[in-house]
Amino acid sequence: MAANIVAEITAHLNARHLHPTATWLQTFTSSIRANTPLQALKQTALFRICSTDITQSLSQPAETLFPKDILSGTSQSRYLAGPIICQVLDIEDIGHSRWSQVEAIEAKERGETTKGREIVRVVEGEDGQPEQPTVDSKGPFKLLLQDAKGVKVYAFDLNGTSELNMNISMGVKLMLRNCEVRRGVVMLEPGGVRSLGGKIEALDKAWKDGRKDRLMTAAKAAQS
Amino acid sequence: MARILCVAEKPSIAKAVANHLGGQARAESVRGSQWVKNYKFDYDFQRWGRSSVTFTCVAGHILQQDFPDRYRGWTSCQPAELFEAPIQTSVAADKKAVARNIEFQARNANVLFIWTDCDREGEHIGSEIREIALKVNPSLQVCRARFSNIERAHIIQAARNPVPLDDRQAHAVAARIELDLRLGYAFTRMQTLALQDMIPQQGEQKKVISYGSCQFPTLGFVVDRYFRVRNFVPETFWYIKVVHEKDGISVPFKWKRGHLFDRMAVIIIYEKCLIAKTAKVTKMQKKPTRKWKPLPLTTVELQKMGSRFLRMTSQEVMNVAEALYTQGWISYPRTETDQFDKGMDLRKLVEKQQPDSRWGPFAQGLMNGGFNQPRSGRNNDNAHPPIHPVNYVAPSALKNDQERKVYEFVVRRFLACCSEDAVGEATDVDIVYGGETFSAHGLTVIARNYLDVYPYDQWKSSQNLPLYTVDEVFEPKEATTQDGKTTAPGYLTEPELIALMDANGIGTDATMAEHIAKIIEREYVLARPKGGGAANGAGARGGGRGRASRSGRDGRGGAAQGGGGGTGGVQEFIPTTLGVALIEGYDNVGFETSLSKPFLRKEMEAQMKAICDGRSTRHEVVQQNLEQYRAVYTRTTQQIGVLKAAIRRYVLGANQN
Repeated sequence: MAANIVAEITAHLNARHLHPTATWLQTFTSSIRANTPLQALKQTALFRICSTDITQSLSQPAETLFPKDILSGTSQSRYLAGPIICQVLDIEDIGHSRWSQVEAIEAKERGETTKGREIVRVVEGEDGQPEQPTVDSKGPFKLLLQDAKGVKVYAFDLNGTSELNMNISMGVKLMLRNCEVRRGVVMLEPGGVRSLGGKIEALDKAWKDGRKDRLMTAAKAAQS
Repeated sequence: MARILCVAEKPSIAKAVANHLGGQARAESVRGSQWVKNYKFDYDFQRWGRSSVTFTCVAGHILQQDFPDRYRGWTSCQPAELFEAPIQTSVAADKKAVARNIEFQARNANVLFIWTDCDREGEHIGSEIREIALKVNPSLQVCRARFSNIERAHIIQAARNPVPLDDRQAHAVAARIELDLRLGYAFTRMQTLALQDMIPQQGEQKKVISYGSCQFPTLGFVVDRYFRVRNFVPETFWYIKVVHEKDGISVPFKWKRGHLFDRMAVIIIYEKCLIAKTAKVTKMQKKPTRKWKPLPLTTVELQKMGSRFLRMTSQEVMNVAEALYTQGWISYPRTETDQFDKGMDLRKLVEKQQPDSRWGPFAQGLMNGGFNQPRSGRNNDNAHPPIHPVNYVAPSALKNDQERKVYEFVVRRFLACCSEDAVGEATDVDIVYGGETFSAHGLTVIARNYLDVYPYDQWKSSQNLPLYTVDEVFEPKEATTQDGKTTAPGYLTEPELIALMDANGIGTDATMAEHIAKIIEREYVLARPKGGGAANGAGARGGGRGRASRSGRDGRGGAAQGGGGGTGGVQEFIPTTLGVALIEGYDNVGFETSLSKPFLRKEMEAQMKAICDGRSTRHEVVQQNLEQYRAVYTRTTQQIGVLKAAIRRYVLGANQN
């Protein structure tokens, strides 16, 4: 593989503040066909890296990582200039009780939704998508973020960041800029969050499959 | 002189109409029936000139549908055969005298003038009368009267303008009767034969586990709510409360977020508020506001309100309303219409209420310029106006408290409709505090208007809010975090159940109360006054079979129904173990559309409507529905073990404990 192609791809990713490890680059370049146009290769590289676990695939410069002392609860308020690259490990809707979310999931499992008092059958259209779009929760949301070094930190989306909702994939990559951190928690604001897309397949599947059980357990645990 | 045979749906209507048309009409008794009378008089019809009139009546349906003898026994055939077994139509055993009377009178008549109630059911009863009459006198001219109350002028108007019988509506009812018969018998037999021996026997008789395509979804709603209540898990939430004192008034501000289910989030936001120290007013708005007067009264609304405010069950309300209608005090109480026809003279109806000591002065106020055209809702069944008082009756002239209460409600509702919205001034103050929005709301009622006659609505002034100006900055007196807990919903109440049935197309406004009574009678559900207390014994309510009953035995409204005198107040419903087991069982059979769900039945109701509108035919609808239900039937019999398991789990399991 020509060195200049590796360089081109590295530059393309770096421009998006993604710094892949040498190992990842090597694996990637060995998997591609030589006659693929460069533009397509760049796209593929971005897509592929967003589908990885960044603690394995990225080797980020310090300024794109969470500061080491980010979890310090004594800090009332500080700002992170970023851009910081992180991935989402969990999202919770804290505007609705866990039990009401369990009930909503169960209604969906039964293929029902409600329109006022009317119980509506969710009929799948020709494209396999439900014909009646379900109304998405506006949250607010509590997220668990992780940077390339594996540091995990909670974050709140209190003011409705358009990139975030309960349908995002786990492992989706975010780029944060100018975020306030209060008492060790990142405050996500509209404009400060950009989604780079992607997901971690295994994590996403486990998260989705286990969501109802987690909600039930959490609701019951809080009760006792 | 032409001979006109008039037939009403029930004795009270025949008597009232005959008296309107014929003065003190001569009543002849009819052999074999104590309550049917033939009223004889002469009348000048616009269409037929001076005529000799015989005015008689039936008592609901005369004909009944049934399977031939060889299908009658419980084990005479596979229940599935009933999906296509022949159906016989014959005169019901207790209606023979009525049918004979019509035959006899029809022989010599020139015209059959039908006066059954103007709705689908009435159209079908009319078609039965026509069938019997035409058999003995094929040259009869047939027409029907269009009326929605039995006030004199209205009746004379109806006598003047006969219309044809609407066969589409009659066909829709015929389709429903056939489907109810086939499905009811097939599923009832199948599930009774399969499950009966498992149910602990009470007394001599083995329990019949009946099925009805409306009853099951109705039961489904009750069971669904029951599980929601039982499974509910309370959770803690947190919120921030801000209080400010100004001009000696303590103003509580509410957090725009309401509350959150994460304590850490609330604490972090709270800290931000405390650091901010001051709040800033971002909105100060006073604006006129109104509380809308109610919409014209429909049956469903009457039932819901009756349950809520009159301490009567929906079925009691309907029976009483029916009685008030036949006495000529109110209009026909089965209607979906919530808009008054523009041409209707409502003032005249208001005027009649002036003598009353309670609402008379209010009615006078409307007559002296306070009258406003009622709001128009979105529904019109094109058959009947909204329920309204037709004539004034003094409370002492009514039979009992229930009649007085329902009449009072209908009148007050009507006067409220003809009045004006209540007017007030709303004050809204928004503040931003630590980046979060909090708001206070105040209301001053300026003119009560319709509320003066309609005590069923509440609208009260709140405390006055002090004056704030936008950009005003202040330091709140108090800012605290508070917590609370989510609470379980209550068991399903009768008004809620009616609303659910209405929204999901289960039954019609006319039959909902009967389906509710039926699931109680079947011991699938217990009713008890809301807020605990011992459940009434199942079946404590009136046991009269309503007009939708397939045998049509008691006819509609013909027989007196024993009202459950002691059952007052809002009722809540709790399923019995058998009720739970049946719904769970069918759900677990895993058919795409369980019988416990409203979807299949809703579809059927929609198809009835399609027949009435001429978009479908009786045959198409019956075949299509039978096909769908047969698929459910087949699946259920294949997996009958699943139903049995549910019975074991809930009925037997519960009894062993």
